[in-house]
Amino acid sequence: MIAEGKIYFKYLRMHLLSGMEYKGWWLMLIQVFVVVISDPIATILLFSRFGNIGEWTVAHIILVYALAVASFGLAESLCRGFDYFPWQMLRSGDFDRLLLRPRSLFVQVAASRFHLHRLVRPITGICAIGWALSELGVSLTPGKIAILAMALAGGCIMYCGVFVLTSGLAFFTIKGLDWIFLLTNASYQITRCPEPYMPRALKSMFSFVLPMLFISFYPAATVCGWGYPQWLGYLSLPAGTAFLGCSLLVWRFGVRHYKSTGS
Amino acid sequence: MNFSATCKACSSLFRIRMAEGLQYRVSAISGVFVSVFWGLLECILFTVFYTYSDNGAWNNNGLTLAQTLSYVWLAQGLFVLQTMSIDSEIMGKINNGDVAVELCRPLNLYTHWFVKSSAGKLGTSWLRSLATIGAGLLMPAGYALGAPASALGFVCFLLSVVMAFVLCSAFAMLVTAIRLNITWGDGPTYMLLLLSGILSGTYLPLRLWPDSMQTFLYLQPFGGFADIPLQLYVGTLTPSLALPSIGLQILWSAAFIAAGRSIMNHKLKSIIVQGG
Repeated sequence: MIAEGKIYFKYLRMHLLSGMEYKGWWLMLIQVFVVVISDPIATILLFSRFGNIGEWTVAHIILVYALAVASFGLAESLCRGFDYFPWQMLRSGDFDRLLLRPRSLFVQVAASRFHLHRLVRPITGICAIGWALSELGVSLTPGKIAILAMALAGGCIMYCGVFVLTSGLAFFTIKGLDWIFLLTNASYQITRCPEPYMPRALKSMFSFVLPMLFISFYPAATVCGWGYPQWLGYLSLPAGTAFLGCSLLVWRFGVRHYKSTGS
Repeated sequence: MNFSATCKACSSLFRIRMAEGLQYRVSAISGVFVSVFWGLLECILFTVFYTYSDNGAWNNNGLTLAQTLSYVWLAQGLFVLQTMSIDSEIMGKINNGDVAVELCRPLNLYTHWFVKSSAGKLGTSWLRSLATIGAGLLMPAGYALGAPASALGFVCFLLSVVMAFVLCSAFAMLVTAIRLNITWGDGPTYMLLLLSGILSGTYLPLRLWPDSMQTFLYLQPFGGFADIPLQLYVGTLTPSLALPSIGLQILWSAAFIAAGRSIMNHKLKSIIVQGG
């Protein structure tokens, strides 16, 4: 276990240093920052044109949204390899080489890529959470911080699950995985819609298929006291872990049925 | 190399790339799922804003809810014309040094790549685009894609879509030419692509942006990617305004092509071939 951890960080360090070789590496930091900042602009512009929706202000939406984005960003930073896996490793046949090494496959794939600029997303997200909380006048107690931290951890685990699931399914489909975009970058867009106005089908899909609401909306509701049952806010970790668990099963199954492709 | 031979080479390149794109039908189908999901989400969001928000009933700058929904669906259809990243084949060539091989061909590199990347874009995307628009038409009444404002408007829309394709391809090539400067990495090109995406109107209908920005939003090049055709369709731009609007698209396409060519020529004089 410790050896695997060591390898993981060695890989990360290697990727970090090789990324820095590009003269313009810091441009990527700015680029991701611009992406992250520009993403909620549409929502903010809509609020500025149309005004609040009942008691939902821009701060409410940003809080829920930032929770989702920050956890997505964390997963993307730590599990980036799985995100690239179907496209780069599987189709080129590079995966065969990993199978030969006497080390955990999970660590090798997860750490096969790391970009410093991916960390911009979670950091900006956490800052946005702070801004939204102060805007809503919520004072942070240790208990609330714990709920938020759990939400982030749960979300990170859940999104790692999404990446692992993609890679697992890629063993069977090789190409044609664009729909997985629904579970990654498109999924946190649903948080732009205020929960009480969300259609039931959407709500149940994003609580029971992908436990999106459990890692973003319910923790936020518990922290700010929006009149939802308190215990819902604590479900982020179990929900995320359950999703990762299912994904790992698919991944295992995929690895067992792997037939080499590429050259 | 004479003109007719260039044309012939280009048309066969175009055909090859189109056929290649069609190989990946599954990919197109899964792309349709994403577009439809995204379109539905936007529809829900706009319906919520138009129906429940404080100023929803009046503060919409001439774009009604029905028009917005049509705009959203067609934007999903047109979105595929936009470049999200540089054509992967060309990108590979820039990164591994095959540019040198490309330069040996008796064909202008800009023309060659222009045809290649635009055909690569079109190959997969027209299927996806039509399917998405079809899905939009089949949606339940509240979320459906409406009819065009007028028959003339629809013709103008089609013309404008063709120009939007040229404009998108020209812009993609400009970005590719900039990317030839390999040491900068992907940062600047992605920022340009992002900016174009935001200002194209697929992100949020340009009419719903602050009123003070409207003139700028109309004149900037990226509105031609999607906003101008879409406004012609939903009728917020009347057919009488079609000529200047399409003219604007043509003007910007010419500007992008000229800029792309000159940057590429300049860059090729001092290109450093990477890899081996």
